[in-house]
Amino acid sequence: MIEISHLYKQFGNDVVALKDLNLVIDRGEFVFIVGSSGAGKSTLLKLLLKEISPTRGSIKIFGRDITRLKGRQIPLLRRNIGMVFQDFRLLNDRNVFENVAFTLRVTGASSKEIRKRVPLSLELVGLKDKQFKKPDELSGGEQQRVCVARAIVNRPAVVIADEPTGNLDPNTSMEIMKLFEEINVRGTTVIVATHAKELVDYFQKRVVVLDRGRLISDQERGVYIDAHKEPLLFPGGGA
Amino acid sequence: MRIRNLFYFLGEALKSVVRHGWMSIASIAVVAMTLLILGCFMVLNFNVANLAEDIKEQVQIVVYIDENADEQTRENLHNKLVAHPELDEVRFVSKDEAMERLKRQMGDRAYLLDGYTEEDANPLRDSYELRTKVPENISLVAEEIGNYPGVGYIDYGEGIVEPLFQFTGVIRYIGLAFMVGLALTAIFLISHTIRLTVYIRRREIQIMKYVGATNWFIRWPFIFEGLILGLVGAVIPVLVVQFSYQAAVEWVQENIYFVTLLPPQQIGTEIARILMPLGVVLGILGSTLSVRRFLNV
Ligand SMILES: Nc1ncnc2c1ncn2[C@@H]1O[C@H](COP(=O)(O)OP(=O)(O)OP(=O)(O)O)[C@@H](O)[C@H]1O
Ligand SMILES: [Mg+2]
Repeated sequence: MIEISHLYKQFGNDVVALKDLNLVIDRGEFVFIVGSSGAGKSTLLKLLLKEISPTRGSIKIFGRDITRLKGRQIPLLRRNIGMVFQDFRLLNDRNVFENVAFTLRVTGASSKEIRKRVPLSLELVGLKDKQFKKPDELSGGEQQRVCVARAIVNRPAVVIADEPTGNLDPNTSMEIMKLFEEINVRGTTVIVATHAKELVDYFQKRVVVLDRGRLISDQERGVYIDAHKEPLLFPGGGA
Repeated sequence: MRIRNLFYFLGEALKSVVRHGWMSIASIAVVAMTLLILGCFMVLNFNVANLAEDIKEQVQIVVYIDENADEQTRENLHNKLVAHPELDEVRFVSKDEAMERLKRQMGDRAYLLDGYTEEDANPLRDSYELRTKVPENISLVAEEIGNYPGVGYIDYGEGIVEPLFQFTGVIRYIGLAFMVGLALTAIFLISHTIRLTVYIRRREIQIMKYVGATNWFIRWPFIFEGLILGLVGAVIPVLVVQFSYQAAVEWVQENIYFVTLLPPQQIGTEIARILMPLGVVLGILGSTLSVRRFLNV
């Protein structure tokens, strides 16, 4: 479903964020993307959302090369990708229901549809009883659940999360990650960029390791690999 | 744009106006203040222009014909005046007619003229009353005509007319300059105020883009918001100008009766016709210009 080939991303003249990246992600997969700070994880996710454009290479999503998308077509791409951020990015002046409904409104959904689908989504993340609260009345974990509900309410084929547990304590992180697992079980492809070693090791999913813009490892049922802490395992890694 | 969306956009715009209450009030105040000053100047300018027009219509050259001029000279003079390209109106006033007018003007005391009404006793002269096409050219034209044969002397209010025209001319230019200046100030202030509200909401715009909103979906609520702010901002000065001008006209009519001001209804509609669209355009322009910068996510 996602096919990345020979992808390069360079910022300015000297910052090379991604180097010759090749990656295929199939429908229904759960993929962790790990790597130390500055490895290029966020850059990769931004490329998938076409927030930025690659310097070279192609990204095919649903069979279409999104690097050729025109500005007008980007919104349609994003409606098929649910996005979850480390810093939640909720609208603080609207309640939980409205924040989730927002994704549907953007697509021009009817209020009937909105009234039907928002509660379903909130139910899944376990926040139905807090739907009239404002984001700042919620805990960090609850806020992240709202984000997840917002990302899936549209029933996108893919959910992408950039360090979704970066601001949460270990227990809450585990809950959120379990939520992603459940979403994945229901058929949605999930891609999570993370630093959380314990979680990656616990869930035993596919793990893609980036190091200074290069893909250095890609394993099914993998574990967290830190290219810099274990130089012996990967002597040539990142060079 | 779908109808369903239209209501959503309008609702969002209204909510946003309420939610950002102080910013909205500031924007409205800016629009209202600038348009109010603009409106006052327009009222002043309209009236000065009206007054100048009035005065212009009253200025004329009176050419008194030399009593000793013979028929031929008189006829030549008449032909020359009629053919003069700068003249708009050439009216012959016989000395009998002049006497009639004088009598009418004197009203009750017309009997004082009794001894002078006979043909030979009439001390007045035949004359021409002339209007120039361009009132400001009056002194030049008068000077030229003064040299024509058969002209006794000429009267056109010299020394009064020239400074008057200069004065009204200056007033009009100042008014115009002020109006242009204020309109520019208004655009500047409004776009800045709205840019600030958009800046405050750049996060919201960014989130909208992330969940797949089109640029127009993001833009419409801002456009409606600008429209609402501009419209409210324009209604206030229109009402204020209308009512205070009405009061002013009433006061002037009672106290300084020789000045005639333009009727309040005319001013009211004129001001509304200019300020309302201006407010709307300023609001919409301000918001679309400001939102553009934040659409590239
Ligand atoms: N807009 C940008 N302009 C210039 N350089 C950038 C930009 N965005 C990212 N970079 C650089 O690209 C490299 C990869 O950044 P990226 O954000 O993808 O790392 P990351 O793996 O997400 O790191 P972290 O784990 O800290 O989030 C870094 O060296 C970063 O400084
Ligand atoms: Mg990152």
